[in-house]
Amino acid sequence: MMAIRRQTLVLATLLTPVTLFLGVFFLLPLLIIALFSVLTPGLYGGVEWAFYHWNYGRIFGWADDIIEVYEPIYLQILMRSLGFAALTVLLCLILCYPVAFWVSRLPHRWRMFFLFLITLPFFSSLIVRLYAWLLILKPSGILNTVLIGVGAISEPLEILYTPAAVVLGMVYVMVPFMFLPLYSAVDNLDRALIEASMDLGATRLQTFLKVVLPQTLPGILGGAVIVFIPSVGNFIVPDVLGGAKGLMIGNLVEQQFLSARNWPFGSALSMIVMAVVLAVLLGSMAAAKRKGGQNA
Amino acid sequence: MALLEIRNARRDFVTPEGGKFAALDGIDLDIGAHEFVTLLGPSGCGKTTLLRSISGFETLDGGAILLDGTDLAALPPFRRPVNTVFQSYALFSHMTVARNVGYALEVRGEDRASRERAVAEALEKVGLTGMGARKPSQLSGGQRQRVALARAIIGKPRLLLLDEPLSALDRNLRQQMQIELKTLQNTLGIAFIFVTHDQEEALTMSDRIVVMRAGQIEQIGTPRAIYRHPKNRFVAEFIGETNLFALTIDRIEAGQAMARTAEGLELLLPAGAAKVGDKAVAVLRPADFTLSDQGIAATVTKAVYLGSDLHLFVQPAVGGAEIRVTARDSASAPKEGTKVHLAYDPAAPHVLEAA
Amino acid sequence: MRNPLGWATLTLFSLLFFLFIYAPLLVIIGYSFNSNPVNMMIWEHFTFDWYRGLLGLGSRVADANNRAAYIESTDQMLRALRTSLMVAAITTTISTVIGTATAIALARYRFAAKGFYNGFLMLPMMMPDIVLGIGLLIFFVTIGMNLSMLTIIIGHCTFLTSYVFIIVQARIAGLDPALEEASADLGASEWVTLRKVLLPQLAPGIVGGALLAFVISMDDLVITYFVAGTDNTTLPVFIFGMVRRGVKPEINAIATMMIAASIVIAALGLWLRARKTE
Repeated sequence: MMAIRRQTLVLATLLTPVTLFLGVFFLLPLLIIALFSVLTPGLYGGVEWAFYHWNYGRIFGWADDIIEVYEPIYLQILMRSLGFAALTVLLCLILCYPVAFWVSRLPHRWRMFFLFLITLPFFSSLIVRLYAWLLILKPSGILNTVLIGVGAISEPLEILYTPAAVVLGMVYVMVPFMFLPLYSAVDNLDRALIEASMDLGATRLQTFLKVVLPQTLPGILGGAVIVFIPSVGNFIVPDVLGGAKGLMIGNLVEQQFLSARNWPFGSALSMIVMAVVLAVLLGSMAAAKRKGGQNA
Repeated sequence: MALLEIRNARRDFVTPEGGKFAALDGIDLDIGAHEFVTLLGPSGCGKTTLLRSISGFETLDGGAILLDGTDLAALPPFRRPVNTVFQSYALFSHMTVARNVGYALEVRGEDRASRERAVAEALEKVGLTGMGARKPSQLSGGQRQRVALARAIIGKPRLLLLDEPLSALDRNLRQQMQIELKTLQNTLGIAFIFVTHDQEEALTMSDRIVVMRAGQIEQIGTPRAIYRHPKNRFVAEFIGETNLFALTIDRIEAGQAMARTAEGLELLLPAGAAKVGDKAVAVLRPADFTLSDQGIAATVTKAVYLGSDLHLFVQPAVGGAEIRVTARDSASAPKEGTKVHLAYDPAAPHVLEAA
Repeated sequence: MRNPLGWATLTLFSLLFFLFIYAPLLVIIGYSFNSNPVNMMIWEHFTFDWYRGLLGLGSRVADANNRAAYIESTDQMLRALRTSLMVAAITTTISTVIGTATAIALARYRFAAKGFYNGFLMLPMMMPDIVLGIGLLIFFVTIGMNLSMLTIIIGHCTFLTSYVFIIVQARIAGLDPALEEASADLGASEWVTLRKVLLPQLAPGIVGGALLAFVISMDDLVITYFVAGTDNTTLPVFIFGMVRRGVKPEINAIATMMIAASIVIAALGLWLRARKTE
């Protein structure tokens, strides 16, 4: 009896801080976003406390003829964001998978060294690394200077401020996040499975497609989720490297809040981003559960 | 009044599938203040659950545990005058041996000087004088075991609980520690409750053995009583090697009963209250048989060499199960295929009370 | 599975990969030694001037006209750095305490809402920064709170608590619960057991979590960008502003120093991890 009461007291003391803190500074803000997304935009920014149902409509192109006319651009930007994020995941996968394989086959000391090398840039500032890409990709930047100097091209390549630059930047930023789960999956792969597959007559390619890929699938999915979610809502990379053609939904949200001062619309856009994130999370959890059932 | 009284202790567990089973199914037990009691049984019999109920890490669903008449249920583990030696020793790896051992006094707020004296004394009792400055990671398994022991006795508990403390040690070390534990218990004069699944250990160390199975007590008694007079088949087979004979009583004369197995093997039993035609199960230990020129006719099917002894499996001529016999090894010891005769002391067979 | 040609190709691919990862860093480090104050892309000659300027040791490069602006922007940079450090220190402390407490609660106690809490704590990490930043911005404005260093700290703690929680949770899962039972068995109450046994055992995990929280806080851009207000700025936000407005050459020097600092911290973390396994 006394033991239980003492236990409850200790437990309450341990849990109260996080409950209060996250409840107030995490849940409440999210609820406010949800609330604002259905309110009327104020004339000079802020909100008017009246229900306004067109915020979501505007995203998909409809207008209420009071504020704007039909503008499918928001939908385009949303689709572009999803596309960029998906492309980022794919490119990260293609880049990281072979390297993960290579590192996992190295002798132990080298393995530690290269793992350290991969995670090291993570510790240096994101904005610094993106700024560096600016220096590299500029028309007067290193890449062009080298290529022109070597004679490979005569005119500078216009990479900066194109969608390509945005994807490149995001891939660069996300590579460590994809690498670690992938490496973990590849490292845990039982070599005996590969040997068994070849023993039974499968070629290297077949072994890779039929044995290695399926076995490392959980790592692939995990990495994909960890990369996709921040990529969708990213606004730094498109802001630094993207220009007008690389605008993503994150930039849109930032604009609505800081320049256009249309908070309800910005909130609606945020809600869409949240919805995408939740869909991806739920999807990955369902996939994990199904895989778990298969392996049982 | 006994030091520890356990009255109808019950503890139920829910399986992952949702079924309920009783880890403790109505345990009644008294422990004296200076006794060495062993809880013996196969895995899952409830002996560890019972131990943890006494120390306070499990709560009973029914019944009570009384220490000196006080119900322990109201006391959380850190208030009970009971200490535990854990199976994994559970030494604090971030503390020195000295601090580990003195921990109970440290949390009571005793001053450093008296703590240091008590620690030195405790270390001496377990034979680890001078090891105070080391860390657990620098010690061998046997030494760690002693630290766990010293740590548990320094607070002068009324009762010490030991959860299979010797299971991680090799055979020689284990036998040595058995003797040391028994000596320590005598020196300290407190009660020890010892949990093990090793029946040899139980026989060696205990004042009394509590044989448990499936949450219930099968039999309580001194080692000799349990060994010589097991109550039922389970206890008979759990302790020591045994031969069981399913018999029917043929005739009774002069206080002895002549009984016979289905195959026709004949045994003389103490008559007791038996009547002709009764069925009985008799226990005869391998050491109860001797090889002679008269007795049960049998052929040796297997001879297992055990150092000083030979463990023989013999097939009775009339048929039936193999009988196990222990004989001293010598040049004339029988080999496989030899025909032998088994003799036994008529007082040796023990009839089981129950199946 | 070693055919030499395949392995060679893989090795080449991997080395190019590492080159790709490190190219930007090498570029910055290289340019930080370029003395050209007008166009940093054109190499003039090697110099330590930018570093000297940042460390307050004077510089030959900036001429009289530029001097005022030069000092001012260096000043701003250093102030931003100081703000970053203070925010990171306070945030690390708060989030480490809360995150550790939560990890202990979820690992050592049985209660109905445990599954909920596990999921709940993952959410701040999974939410995109921009949603968190926006949410906090309109939250603070709605309740009438001024944007200040306090709001930055609150913003950081929101998601850093989860990071610390995960790391400590992983550490606590590897501990032997028998140690805490032994402590209770020997007479220590819950708080004493926590202090004398659990926390020391958790120390490597707590330090690891704190280190990670510090690094992430120092580097945070998006959330800080929204909740910092006009009077305060952290180093990443300052650099971001510079990148947008127009870059000064000394940005390379400070970036290089940040890279150097990150190498030191990463090495520290690695050394701690190596010590942990004993």
